[in-house]
Amino acid sequence: MLEVKNIEKSFEKESVLEQVNFQLEENQVLSVLGRSGSGKTTLLKIIAGLERESGGEIIWKGQTLNDLPPNARKIVYLYQEALLFPHLNVFENVAFGLRLKHENEKVVKEKVGAMLEALGLGEHENKMTHQLSGGQKQRVSFGRALVISPPVLLLDEPFGALDGETRKQMQDLFFKMKEQFNMTALFVTHDIKEAIIIGDKLGHMQNGRIKLYEDLAQFLLDPATEAQRELKFWEGVKADLDNYPSKDS
Amino acid sequence: MKKGPRFFIAIIGLGIAFPFLTLLLFSFMKGWFFPSISPTTWTLDYWIQLFQVEGELLQTSLTSILISIFVAFVSTLLGFFLGKWMATHPWRKWWLLLAYFPFVLSPVILAAGIQFFFIKFGLSGNFLGVLIAQLLIALPYAIIIYNGFWSPSMLDREKLARTLGGTAWQAFWRVSIPLSSGVILVVFFQTFLISWFEYGLTRLIGLGKVKTLTIQVFQFVTETNIFLAALSGVLLVVPPLILLWVNKRFVINQWI
Repeated sequence: MLEVKNIEKSFEKESVLEQVNFQLEENQVLSVLGRSGSGKTTLLKIIAGLERESGGEIIWKGQTLNDLPPNARKIVYLYQEALLFPHLNVFENVAFGLRLKHENEKVVKEKVGAMLEALGLGEHENKMTHQLSGGQKQRVSFGRALVISPPVLLLDEPFGALDGETRKQMQDLFFKMKEQFNMTALFVTHDIKEAIIIGDKLGHMQNGRIKLYEDLAQFLLDPATEAQRELKFWEGVKADLDNYPSKDS
Repeated sequence: MKKGPRFFIAIIGLGIAFPFLTLLLFSFMKGWFFPSISPTTWTLDYWIQLFQVEGELLQTSLTSILISIFVAFVSTLLGFFLGKWMATHPWRKWWLLLAYFPFVLSPVILAAGIQFFFIKFGLSGNFLGVLIAQLLIALPYAIIIYNGFWSPSMLDREKLARTLGGTAWQAFWRVSIPLSSGVILVVFFQTFLISWFEYGLTRLIGLGKVKTLTIQVFQFVTETNIFLAALSGVLLVVPPLILLWVNKRFVINQWI
């Protein structure tokens, strides 16, 4: 279990995170909804070890991670952009983490091959990254993270830069991968629908504070998530559509 | 290729090569007196002198090569890490502005401004002083070029490699170095050329005691020794030509 206890972060005099507390069970995905500037990215970077917290503790299975460098935490942080390595082809991008661990060639081939098949990228393994579409790049990025079986995956609006259709495909793929790899992940997004589809558990971040919900109803009913406003909007659209005169009449 | 474009390319090529060919021709002349329309005496003397160990031109060429390689190496290496440091520094814009400063002034004015300090620290008129003086313009140039390379996404790629299990060294060696090889070569070539053709700073700080090939060419020109000036000019053009070829062969082709 990942425990985040009283995490605080200030940049000079500006407080970005205040008393952030939550627990993430193994094989669970926590979706955190929040607007830009709410502190989501800072929180993920602190958990990954890319940013130093001003106070608080991060604990994984009873071990405090605060003083460990990012590589020792084994928590992979995925950015909004795929950030593939342009000097490597698709196969080597996915194999990157295994190469760092000096895995033997046979294991690398097996694991990467299986991962590429699972992601539907088998036929693209020799392509360079500039030959891929946005969705394919994001899939390679996923594969690169999942192939090393990280205990926790942190996803910072990974589908934010994709078009609607590709985004939908990636959400479906993520859901499939979540089941297949028993993922433990923290998924941040500013898209309510995405947060609901992806998360086993839901949270909301605002002004550097996080609030976790017991169930979907609580999440939807909280005015802070603005889910009600969204629902009203779509209900209005549906009502307009229902009143729309059909061609037959 | 059609004949028309080929003809124009040949004309442009000839135009580019013409000054170099003229210099080469002059380096084999000994006399060309009015009203003769072609050189009166030809010689290999200057080229033979060049390859004599005690020859001044050979010494000057070696000094120039040594200075330029040192300046290019230090600028490329230091600029790489300073550029990265600057990229994450809160005062990034101010540091960058400072890097542009040596280029706002002409090198001679810059030299006049710093000469006092060089004299005070015993750096005027010696090899070390010239190296430091040239670094004052080559290093900021390297930093400016690297500034574009150390973009947020480049830094994020390094961080991503860390979260994928890489140590700081692995992230540097397996991500930063392969991705920066092109820009490193460009910076090395450019700073080499800055140093190679540098005149004002080297003249004022070196006080004529440190002779580079560029200074030598000017000296021969002012002495109206056009044939030796031509030979020095040929030597001056050779390293840039080699760099141009290497650049085309290994840098440009790499990215096309």
